[in-house]
Amino acid sequence: MNIPRVLNKKNRVLLAELTKTDFKLRYQGSVLGYLWALLRPLMMFAILYVVFAKLLKFGGDIPHYPVYLLCGTTMWSFFTECTSQGIQAMIARGDLIRKISFPKYIVVVSATLTAVINMLINLVVIIIFALINGVEFSWTWFLVPLSLIELYVLSLGISFLLGAINVKYRDITSIWDVCIQALFYAIPIIYPVAMVAASSALAAKVILLNPIAQAIQDIRHNLITPETITTWNYISNPLLEFLPIILIVVVLIFAAFYFRKKSKFFAEEI
Amino acid sequence: MGKYKIGTRKEISTNGDIAIHVSNLYKGFKLPTERAFGLKQAFFNRLKGIKGYKEQKVLNDISFDVKKGEFVGIVGRNGSGKSTLLKTLAGIYYPQKGEIIIDGNLIPFIELGVGFNPELTGRENVYLNGAMLGFSNKEVDTMYDEIWKFAELEQFQNQKLKNYSSGMQVRLAFSIAIRAKGDILLLDEVLAVGDAAFQQKCNNYFKSLHGNQTVILVTHSMENITKFCDRAILIENGKITLDGTPKTVAKAYKNLWS
Repeated sequence: MNIPRVLNKKNRVLLAELTKTDFKLRYQGSVLGYLWALLRPLMMFAILYVVFAKLLKFGGDIPHYPVYLLCGTTMWSFFTECTSQGIQAMIARGDLIRKISFPKYIVVVSATLTAVINMLINLVVIIIFALINGVEFSWTWFLVPLSLIELYVLSLGISFLLGAINVKYRDITSIWDVCIQALFYAIPIIYPVAMVAASSALAAKVILLNPIAQAIQDIRHNLITPETITTWNYISNPLLEFLPIILIVVVLIFAAFYFRKKSKFFAEEI
Repeated sequence: MGKYKIGTRKEISTNGDIAIHVSNLYKGFKLPTERAFGLKQAFFNRLKGIKGYKEQKVLNDISFDVKKGEFVGIVGRNGSGKSTLLKTLAGIYYPQKGEIIIDGNLIPFIELGVGFNPELTGRENVYLNGAMLGFSNKEVDTMYDEIWKFAELEQFQNQKLKNYSSGMQVRLAFSIAIRAKGDILLLDEVLAVGDAAFQQKCNNYFKSLHGNQTVILVTHSMENITKFCDRAILIENGKITLDGTPKTVAKAYKNLWS
């Protein structure tokens, strides 16, 4: 795979057109159209807010808890949307794969870029909510893109790996749905880490070693309140601290090699 | 890795006079014997020592060269391996064994209107399909009016594609496809589109290609073989059984059924 060919003009145009099409078609035929990109996570947030913040009183003493919660659910939606679209991408675009020759990664990237666009729109909403809620601007806001890139790279890695397997074994889609459900509870999205830490420090540490949890907590820390418990301020072992990052790099490298090897045969297997 | 352990497909650019070189090309497909979709079945197959597929040889030791500027027809019965050969040349399938060397910019038309989406307007589909053929948006801009004029569908530009008749869709697709400027064209049965008047336009296009461009045409129409081709190849059960003038090949093709 030489870089000039991978990023040549033809491939860039194809990526741009596929992304545009995906985005246009996502809310095709619905009255509110693109507004759903905003409404869906906001509605999900409203439900979680009523159940967990109001009824179960999970917020505790976290400042700006509603924004903190919104931030977590948005980033979680980004991750789930990215991976489920990415894993499905090859099957959804099977007609192209069977009929033209092009680098297959374009299909995965274009499918996930729609999720990136949605996330960026929602990020604006979070910032507006944060300012309304009294969160003050801080220079750490400029660190947020780093965590977003981290989350996206992980999603891409998972999409490449599971997407390649999914071409042959369609079970992956269902298995991943279950994994998503389990992960949702394994990551401190609705509950604060402090709640877990209060009963078991070890459990809190394990939770924070998950790359998704690490990225989401970092975003909350840098965007909303420095009181957020993060992997960096809760785990003191410097080797362990970097485990989430190492995990992401390993997943991406392995996924890229696997995808490259398998993609030669997608056209006949799909 | 030895040269012929696994097939290779290379695109190069030289001043030589061979546009496509194919030597000892093999391609087989794994056809699932028992239901091999799904992890569970794959797991049980492995336990029972069943491979879960049998190998179907589709291309069996194919070798030929196409000179630059040559118009070559490929004929054969259904299932003889014509389309697989075309798809392997196009780089959609990976060659199992053997070697393919492509000299020049190759444009495959395995099917017209790749990527067409019924929910998008005609205009949007032109840009989308253009991208599949390697055109930038700017390039599509410059030929945009010409595309609609040739397709005779100017008044439908902003209609959704699902409101087009199938004939209209094919005309639009064909009109985009013929803008593609490559050194080598691979065409799979895309000649017969539209009504008689449109047919005439298509025939003129193919005549214009003759002598100017390297073309490989897969077809069942012996009329087209004798009308357009310099040379024809007959494929039976994945092997080349005849490689000669269009007339002799057309005759041999008709004799397959007598």
